[in-house]
Amino acid sequence: MIAQPFDYSAPESVSEALALLGSRPDSRLLAGGQSLVPMMKLRLSTPAHLIDLTKIAELHYIVETNGSIRIGAMSTHRQIESSETLRQSCPLLAEAAGRIGDAQVRNMGTIGGSLSHADPAADYPAPLQALGAKVRLVSKGGERTLPIEEFLEDAFTTALTGAELLYEVIVPADPPGAGSAYLKLEQPASGFAVVGAAAQVAVQNGNFSLARLGLTGVGSKSYRARAVETALAGRPATPATIAEAAQQAAGGVEALSDIYAGADYRAHLARVCARRVLEAALARAK
Amino acid sequence: MKVQGDFLLPLDQQAAWNLLLDAGVLARAMPGCESLLPTGPDQYDMRMKIAVSSIRGLFGGQVRIEDKNPPASYRLVLQGEGKLGHLRGAGLLALSGEAESTRVRYDGEVQIGGLIASVGERMLDLTAKMMIRRFFGALEKEARAWTQAPAPSSGLPTGNVT
Repeated sequence: MIAQPFDYSAPESVSEALALLGSRPDSRLLAGGQSLVPMMKLRLSTPAHLIDLTKIAELHYIVETNGSIRIGAMSTHRQIESSETLRQSCPLLAEAAGRIGDAQVRNMGTIGGSLSHADPAADYPAPLQALGAKVRLVSKGGERTLPIEEFLEDAFTTALTGAELLYEVIVPADPPGAGSAYLKLEQPASGFAVVGAAAQVAVQNGNFSLARLGLTGVGSKSYRARAVETALAGRPATPATIAEAAQQAAGGVEALSDIYAGADYRAHLARVCARRVLEAALARAK
Repeated sequence: MKVQGDFLLPLDQQAAWNLLLDAGVLARAMPGCESLLPTGPDQYDMRMKIAVSSIRGLFGGQVRIEDKNPPASYRLVLQGEGKLGHLRGAGLLALSGEAESTRVRYDGEVQIGGLIASVGERMLDLTAKMMIRRFFGALEKEARAWTQAPAPSSGLPTGNVT
């Protein structure tokens, strides 16, 4: 099908985009179009006005400052996957970006678009939860910065108001010696994670001095598996500790169930992926 | 698709029963409900605006309350239609007292068809569960408002609710 007719604007600055967004109801921001455009072609989404953000130069950047890496919302998955800055200072995010969809999707899709769409099986939320990332939102009236856990409220639901735009994602640079890994079991047709797990660990004197785990695809929203992190903190950095802690990866989460994976199987996958990804991250820690 | 679960209302069972049959409360708690107007005893016309991700659509339909067994259970039947498709659902709500609170169990079935079904099972399932969570979350808030000012509304449904 072809999308219903709509008006199209391609502003060149964020302030112009925000003014357009406020100027008429039923406007939608268009980032890489990898979720919105298919919905429009199915005529499930019929916005009267699209505001294309691709020409806004100020939203395309990946820079490291003061121990943080700031990623402009219009950075594509491919740019994140191949960014030298990220590969050096936050390889977990680059690794996860490289697992999104296929090459065509990665060339078009953006981190800002993906997060604003808030698919609970998307790849980014797992590493961003594990890293304790933040997002900066801007509107005509001002701006605010939220932890990723507060930004992603529910399936397809974010803290964004209709007048806001996601400007950038902020992730901390890895502490020295940290190791990280992203692992997912994917739906073969869509590439979406049935379960995706991201871990970051560091070891001091044989014990875990840092252990973080983010999961996506398991429940209706991504989450940090704090019970697993607590069970690892300060304990010997061994496969036995990991195996025991990983048992709590799906604790307290109502696992999703669909034709591909029932709730029990999904919870099981969460525990298995948690164990494997923690082992992989440990193997990379120095 | 099956929907099943339970939630806790901070009210005794009789008050919880009254809350769950108060059209004004239901209209405020149902996500996207724009109006809920009585057409007969325990029957209402409903207008709902669905807004999930980039999908926006208006649904019109009916809500019926059947098999009332106060203050223990009733069946909620709803059907709706819009440009995006149609939906039919029915489920049993069962109340049981639990200390000062009331546990409400729901068990039902929802069928969704038409254009919207093309988004696939995964998204429909997620969306249905999210709307149920929002509904019960809102009911909990309503219940807390009742415990603070225990003056149930007249039971007369409101016209337009935002």
